[in-house]
Amino acid sequence: MTGLGDFVEELVADVDAVFLFSPTASVHERLAEHDPVVVGAENEVDAEAFVELPLDFNDLTERVRFGVEGARESGHVDPEADIVCLAQVFDDDIDTVTRVNAADFPESGVYDLFADSLAEPSVIRNVLEVAVELGKKGQKGKPVGALFVVGDAGKVMNKSRPLSYNPFEKSHVHVGDPIVNVMLKEFSRLDGAFVISDSGKIVSAYRYLEPSAEGVDIPKGLGARHMAAGAITRDSNAVAIVLSESDGLVRAFKAGELILELDPEEY
Amino acid sequence: MTQIDWPTLVRSLFSQETAFTLSIAILILGVVASYSVWRATHRVLDQAGINDVVEGTPFERTARSFNTSTVGIIATLGAIFAYVAAIILALSIARMGNPDLFWSQLTAYFPRLFVAALAIITGLVVGDKAKLLVSERLRSIKLPEVDIIPELVKYSVFYIAALIALGQIGVATSALLILLAVYAFAIVFLGGLAFKDLLASGAAGIYLLLSEPYSIGDQVRIDEHTGVVQEVDMFKTRIENEGREYIVPNRLVLRSSIVRIRS
Repeated sequence: MTGLGDFVEELVADVDAVFLFSPTASVHERLAEHDPVVVGAENEVDAEAFVELPLDFNDLTERVRFGVEGARESGHVDPEADIVCLAQVFDDDIDTVTRVNAADFPESGVYDLFADSLAEPSVIRNVLEVAVELGKKGQKGKPVGALFVVGDAGKVMNKSRPLSYNPFEKSHVHVGDPIVNVMLKEFSRLDGAFVISDSGKIVSAYRYLEPSAEGVDIPKGLGARHMAAGAITRDSNAVAIVLSESDGLVRAFKAGELILELDPEEY
Repeated sequence: MTQIDWPTLVRSLFSQETAFTLSIAILILGVVASYSVWRATHRVLDQAGINDVVEGTPFERTARSFNTSTVGIIATLGAIFAYVAAIILALSIARMGNPDLFWSQLTAYFPRLFVAALAIITGLVVGDKAKLLVSERLRSIKLPEVDIIPELVKYSVFYIAALIALGQIGVATSALLILLAVYAFAIVFLGGLAFKDLLASGAAGIYLLLSEPYSIGDQVRIDEHTGVVQEVDMFKTRIENEGREYIVPNRLVLRSSIVRIRS
């Protein structure tokens, strides 16, 4: 811990919890007596309290928000704990210290979206990555829109109908394979939604979703694709990930509500 | 074994003087040859990425503490082999040593000793590596009892390597071989017994995945459970019905027959 020196000890002395964002083993060892909560993509230091970051958030605010929400949900910290976060912004080494209060982060449901959905967190992450990549490059340079419904596939299939033949019929492809991501991009020019099962199997493309859209409250100005996404997640336990054709943002819906909004250009 | 009788051949070609000079030349050549063997082995193994593969195994660490590495030891072994071969060749050409049965036996024995040493080194490295790999795989299972499996894998590999080495240097290994056979049989037999249901489900799962008699979203009745198919994988089928999720092993799916409900 070159950049921080000894004053870290003073900073962490009187707080309720210490959060380490993707720490190296030596940093973790040094602060082990404070029982730190480790937040990162992988639990490399075998910490007892660990929150998995599903996305490579560039923005420190997002990282802290996700970490605090996750730790609160899984009971690693009190809802009103004072927290010191040690994170890296510029380098691979810990270089930034912020002090926050867990109560300052209202429930946004981002942690819930990944950890508490029917689908596996890695599947949701993979689909988000495909959507982000699609948003960045578009399909052959033109902006495209896409709608992925992840999880609870049986129910989603029963609340939708095919627009045409299902190109994924009798195939066993899963999101996350590089070749499949290319396929998904190619098929994104088709109208309709992709249905993806809990374990990541691509069940169908070309689905026309028929949920009842009554009482779905999504921000005004979003189109039919977002309305369908919000409605299907309210009618089932699925998560919907939408790439908007008009503004290029990736949005995630759960239980009929907009949970997460990402700008593909920032990743 | 039909072998060319090199010393006799050499003696028939050269006089005693030239034979001696030749043997000295062979000794010098042997130095050069063993050095180039050392260099070549080093380069080939380095290029093959052996260093990365053996990284972190105890054998490599021990080697490091002697200021060398696994690659270094293998290369040195090769060099020693080349050099001793040169010495033996030189000796037999010059007839300086006792051209007895002893030498011809030693020449025959020497390569086998080399292979045995190589088998031991490979066994140690592979065993440790296998242990690391298995324990990496099992890392998510936080059970102290699980630690025994990587150890078991490690010592099994050690055992087989030791068997190969002992067989090479001509020690009677039949008793040890029988022990290995019993051990392998026990693993296969008990494993088969323990994994019987999993294997049956896996076989049924392959059939279900290939032929897809039902797919995700279908209304089915399997083994008294009615609902919507949520997921089919190798071992199980998940059926959901109004908040209840039935996880049916695939062997039961085939055994109980499938009812597809079309309304």
